[in-house]
Amino acid sequence: MKRFAKWGLTMPATIAVVVALVIPVLLTIATTFGEPKGAFSTYTAFFNSGFRTNILYRTLRIALITTAISLVIGFLTAYVIARMPGRLKSIAIIAAVFPLLTGVVVRSFAWLIILGKNGIVNDTLMSLGIISEPLSMLYTEGSVIVAMVYLFVPLMILTLTGVLEGVPREVVEASTSLGATPIATFFQVILPLAVPGLIVGAVLVFTGSFTSYATPQLLGGEQMMMMGTLLYQRAMVTFDWVGASTIAAIMVVITIAVVTIMSRMARRLNPMAV
Amino acid sequence: MTVSLTIENLSAHYGSTPVLKDLSISVAAGELVSLLGSSGCGKTTTLRIVAGFLEPTSGRVRLGDRDLTTLPAHARDIGLVFQNYALFPHLTVMENVAFGLKQRGIAKPDRAKRAGSMLDRVGLSHLADRLPSALSGGQKQRVALARALVIEPPLLMFDEPLSNLDAKLRVDMRVEIRQLQKANGTTSLYVTHDQEEAFSISDRVAIMNAGRIMQLDTPEVLYRKPANAFVASFVGFENLVPMKVVSRDGATVTAEAAGGARLSFSQDVFGAIKDDFVLATRADGLVARQSGEGIPATLGTRTYLGRAYQYKCVTVAGEITANGALSEPYDPGTSAVLVPVPEQCCILDPEA
Amino acid sequence: MTTRIHPVLGAFAALVFLFLLAPLVIIVGASLSDTSYLTFPPQGLTLRWFANIFEISAFRNTAITSFQVAILGTALSLLMGIPAAYALNRYRVELPKWLSTLFVLPILVPEIVFGFSLLKSITIGFGLPVYPSLILGHALLVLPYSVRVVGASLAAFDFSVEEAAISLGCPPLKTFLTVVLPNIRAGVIAAFILAFITSINDVSISVFLTGPGISTLPIQILAHMEQFFDPTIASVSVLLMLVTVGVMAIVEATLGLTFLTK
Repeated sequence: MKRFAKWGLTMPATIAVVVALVIPVLLTIATTFGEPKGAFSTYTAFFNSGFRTNILYRTLRIALITTAISLVIGFLTAYVIARMPGRLKSIAIIAAVFPLLTGVVVRSFAWLIILGKNGIVNDTLMSLGIISEPLSMLYTEGSVIVAMVYLFVPLMILTLTGVLEGVPREVVEASTSLGATPIATFFQVILPLAVPGLIVGAVLVFTGSFTSYATPQLLGGEQMMMMGTLLYQRAMVTFDWVGASTIAAIMVVITIAVVTIMSRMARRLNPMAV
Repeated sequence: MTVSLTIENLSAHYGSTPVLKDLSISVAAGELVSLLGSSGCGKTTTLRIVAGFLEPTSGRVRLGDRDLTTLPAHARDIGLVFQNYALFPHLTVMENVAFGLKQRGIAKPDRAKRAGSMLDRVGLSHLADRLPSALSGGQKQRVALARALVIEPPLLMFDEPLSNLDAKLRVDMRVEIRQLQKANGTTSLYVTHDQEEAFSISDRVAIMNAGRIMQLDTPEVLYRKPANAFVASFVGFENLVPMKVVSRDGATVTAEAAGGARLSFSQDVFGAIKDDFVLATRADGLVARQSGEGIPATLGTRTYLGRAYQYKCVTVAGEITANGALSEPYDPGTSAVLVPVPEQCCILDPEA
Repeated sequence: MTTRIHPVLGAFAALVFLFLLAPLVIIVGASLSDTSYLTFPPQGLTLRWFANIFEISAFRNTAITSFQVAILGTALSLLMGIPAAYALNRYRVELPKWLSTLFVLPILVPEIVFGFSLLKSITIGFGLPVYPSLILGHALLVLPYSVRVVGASLAAFDFSVEEAAISLGCPPLKTFLTVVLPNIRAGVIAAFILAFITSINDVSISVFLTGPGISTLPIQILAHMEQFFDPTIASVSVLLMLVTVGVMAIVEATLGLTFLTK
């Protein structure tokens, strides 16, 4: 009875994940090795194509920059939120949750209005007489990064607020009572204790921006393709499924590698864990 | 460098609620004073103000000739031991103890030497490289103590340091804290809600209630001669009987309790007695007998205490707990008189 | 009682919140503009772009599909996820560790890869029609919320209460429904809400699983934008934000918004 219960109850979810996710994804990866030209021929082709490697490097670059900026903005903001009095704190958290619950399309779309040819930034700069011709800010790495930071900062703020609130007040007070200045306390006590949380936040943002589709589609366009948009284009526009599968395999490997390495690191650096 | 701590006319509010009302204490150089009271009495607030984590509404805090009142917390040079230890979870035992020395810019070799010898004193040198998560509660509290002591602060403060430990360890640790404090001669302020702990560890104890000090004295005086009804009931005087003087004859005063029971008191024993007072006793201050001058009572449940029997009694002056001799056990319902034992009684002013 | 915040840091945080909220305000403004192009601040005020949404049948149809898929997908994920979360907590020591990793795979595997693989193997390879594929994809996408969030509630549940009910003669399924479920109510509601919001906003999976006559609202928005760049998009976005507001109101009413920080 109990034997049936413990396996039986997990069975529907297990079957669904294995059949509809694990096997399809493994099949996608497997097809890349079945080419007549040799098992690794699609990968050789990928890495020999300047166009495609550029997209891979751009995607990595954009994901790294987005992660770094989100970390700094998110950490400083979370530090302020963690120190706010109760009421103000709830308002701040609602203000961070609201964008998070708003869709990616809607949030990316806002930046089209802001950065477009007739957007707010151009309008303002022209009416101030700083520029005479509208700047082309869309379809650049910059526009993609701005929108991605916008996308991921709320996630980082919420993750890190939780982390910073988890640093016991007494530990901070102990540091103070032992003569550490606020800056010394920040660098010697608060920051080291927040490192595991920072890593978790960084992994979330890195994988999220590395695999994003809607934002580069809207703000990067054809000129600034990323891995996600490239995959879609190969699969649904040129119907090069082997090429799309190759891109998929590279994305899976990089994502899983980053997640495993970083979460192992976070666990090792976590002093609270026994 | 032993200095005294002076707290003058401290007031503090939490929002608009007053939590400290014009509180003054001075702790002499090398002395250990406890703040004792139930939660919400203001003892922790007082400690946090002295530490610099809270700002008082008014009043001053002085340590020796330094005025701490406006000094930032990290510049106050006070050793603090927390209830939940508050060890740095990311630092080893050695690094925890050396933390304060590092903040004082002491060079690494010297730091290691001083922290090491401090760890020796608390008997934890063998755990120097462990992280706090690998220590037991008692070991953690020793590290916390070493960490606070190694900076040789002119003032040590303890915030319920033993309340997370089990009973046996609590007794051992308080002896250890007292020995270290005495050996260093460090002026100390100790916050606790545990009367036994406060009385056993302190030179003097301040019993606090609702943001005020009710009495500040040595444990012996507090135990025998409480100054008011609050302190009396706090230190275990179960019976507080209001009385009114009805006649005076030389040194002898006769007074009446509610319901008409009359007792006489000698002013040679109790000093001058005012017209209205409260007779305060523990159970052993009133003895149930068949005859004598006392409060008439009907005895209730009898409990065997080893040295005596104890009775819950119903009297005209209210419920009273009294003792009775082992030689004469009374059954519930017996009529008796409760005769005061003068040396076990206190005469207090009625509450204002 | 709180530590003081350095004014520079406080100002910085205020700017961050401006950065977070201003774009959403701009969308609302743009949706009200009486111009045929998107602009902010709005020039003239009109609600005709909201009316326009309802005239475009594609928005109506995809909105209905999105709601159906979100409700059905979320329901399916809870049906699979709650029993799994229960078993993982109840038989924690006896079940292998990889099982709980398996249930978070939909988060770990890049969504766009999952969408593509689902299309390739299940929809085309296996021949499952587009609509059920969409529901299956969304159900799996949000499965981690069902397992993890409900699991967090179950972790705080004292299973001896369940044993007490069973010892008093309550059959296991009834015990689960009348004793366990009411106690993990908050987790189930939270999981439902997170899953619903994730599903209704999803792009990366839906983008592969749209066919003739079947599309979701976010995909329709993307498609519309390629042809028209008028305030209709802004007004659809405003409606989607209202859904978010509605969801937050439900959270506030049932769990309190502080729940979201945990």
